[in-house]
Amino acid sequence: MYIYLPIAEQPIHSLAILGVGTFLGLIMGLVGVGGGFLLTPIMMFLGIPPPVAVASVANQLVAPSVSGVLSHWKRGNVDFKMGTVLLLGGVVGSSIGVVIFNFLGKIGQLDLVIKSSYVVFLTLIGSLMLSESLNLILRKRKGKVSRGKLHQHNWLHGLPFKTRFRKSKLYISVLLPIFIGIIVGILAALMGIGGGFIIVPAMIYLLGMPTSLVVGTSLFQIIFVAANTTILQASQNQTVDIVLASILLLGSVVGVQVGSRFTNILKGEYLRLILSTLIILVSLKLLTDLITIPSDIFSVIISR
Amino acid sequence: MKILTYLHILVLVFFISYDVKAKNQIVADLSQENVKITTDFLGAKILLFGAYDGQKGDDIIVVVTGPKGLVTVQKKEKVFGIWVKTKSVNYINAPKYLNISSNRDINKILNQKTQKISEIGLNNLKIRLQPGKKVQKEKEWREALTRNMLKSKLWSLNENSISLNKNALFRSYLNLPSNVITGQFEVKILHYRNSKLISKELSTINVSKSGVSAEIYNIAQNYSTLYGIFAVILAVLVGWGTNLIFRKV
Repeated sequence: MYIYLPIAEQPIHSLAILGVGTFLGLIMGLVGVGGGFLLTPIMMFLGIPPPVAVASVANQLVAPSVSGVLSHWKRGNVDFKMGTVLLLGGVVGSSIGVVIFNFLGKIGQLDLVIKSSYVVFLTLIGSLMLSESLNLILRKRKGKVSRGKLHQHNWLHGLPFKTRFRKSKLYISVLLPIFIGIIVGILAALMGIGGGFIIVPAMIYLLGMPTSLVVGTSLFQIIFVAANTTILQASQNQTVDIVLASILLLGSVVGVQVGSRFTNILKGEYLRLILSTLIILVSLKLLTDLITIPSDIFSVIISR
Repeated sequence: MKILTYLHILVLVFFISYDVKAKNQIVADLSQENVKITTDFLGAKILLFGAYDGQKGDDIIVVVTGPKGLVTVQKKEKVFGIWVKTKSVNYINAPKYLNISSNRDINKILNQKTQKISEIGLNNLKIRLQPGKKVQKEKEWREALTRNMLKSKLWSLNENSISLNKNALFRSYLNLPSNVITGQFEVKILHYRNSKLISKELSTINVSKSGVSAEIYNIAQNYSTLYGIFAVILAVLVGWGTNLIFRKV
């Protein structure tokens, strides 16, 4: 059943979009990350203009994040103080991101920047995840599971404005989470992602937060970053397609719930192995699009 | 619906063919004058039909021109291994839709010079470049414009697509693709005899967004911040709602 998307100005098969949304929701539920950074490239492969894909995916991300935070909150897995500091940075960052987005659109290089940032980040994340999961699988085969150091001290802990985060049992400079929030916010606005795949490792390795709090807290801040991005994209660039976002989010919220029920059945490292392979494949496809000679080196933009 | 349309056509053709014989002219009508882009829009196929006072060897050319405006042609070049858009040229009055149909090859109907003067043919349209900007190899850019517009199906050249019947009736189909631009479309029906224009008829098609799809588009354009806030609230409610539903399951 085809449905005409009012902002993307083209018809698309609604069941295909629903399926993609559900599939990515499943991944999100199973692994905890991975909504936006796979969804946006897939939307682009389906022919949605990159600016519309980025903005609409930001909109749909709000739904699974709200639903996710609520379940993590119930289990006491959200550090609201840390989340608030991160989201302050995130809101600033995503506002900067939308301004950059607008500027790139004006000079006509938006597609290029979106696609090449995806290549860089997907390759990075994909290969990190791949090596990590392979390592874990190999170590488990040998029967040894070692734990890394829980907490390391480095120069980052010497920054000023130290604050106590009781829930996370941390006493660190407030500048660090704000800075992380800004960087993630910029990328979120530019790439149509929640930024979970950047913020989660940053919280574990840079901030030293307990892993049990990481997913819930990152989802908490993603709600606000994605909401801010959506409102700004809508008002600055008119690129949020609410019909596209609605179909996607209906699929994804169901997918997340179903996925999170199976997390205990499927082994995390194997899941991550599959996901990382998927990520690397998507990034390779994007890369080939950028480096192979286009079928026509000329293209046309029709102003509406 | 279909039967009604055909009935309408039959009655119309019957009456107008009398009229045409008397006045040596061409009359035409369209199966649809208002095209609405609704939520289930997949493009439109419009029947153009009419009657003319013809002789053996007469020709008919139909030119449908959509709204004109800014169309940018961009060129990609390889920079550090990546294909990047490096140059662009703006055409300020390019038709965003163009359909040229005829009953046989246009080159057999009109000579090159006449085609050029009457702006018939994809390359004979006078499309202006943005003033003040020097463009090198203009022909290459213009060819790229035509090629890309043809590829997007917004422009089309359908020679031999008009069927003539007994030198009195003609019939042709216009395809509006799903990515068609809204606005007023001018339909020009030209009747030639020995390469001379002997009669013509003008008509218009209105393409507009309609229904929910139009409402959403207008709100997104005119109340963009509110629209964004609404989009967020909707997502929050759905997220919260599913959590309530699944908690009980």
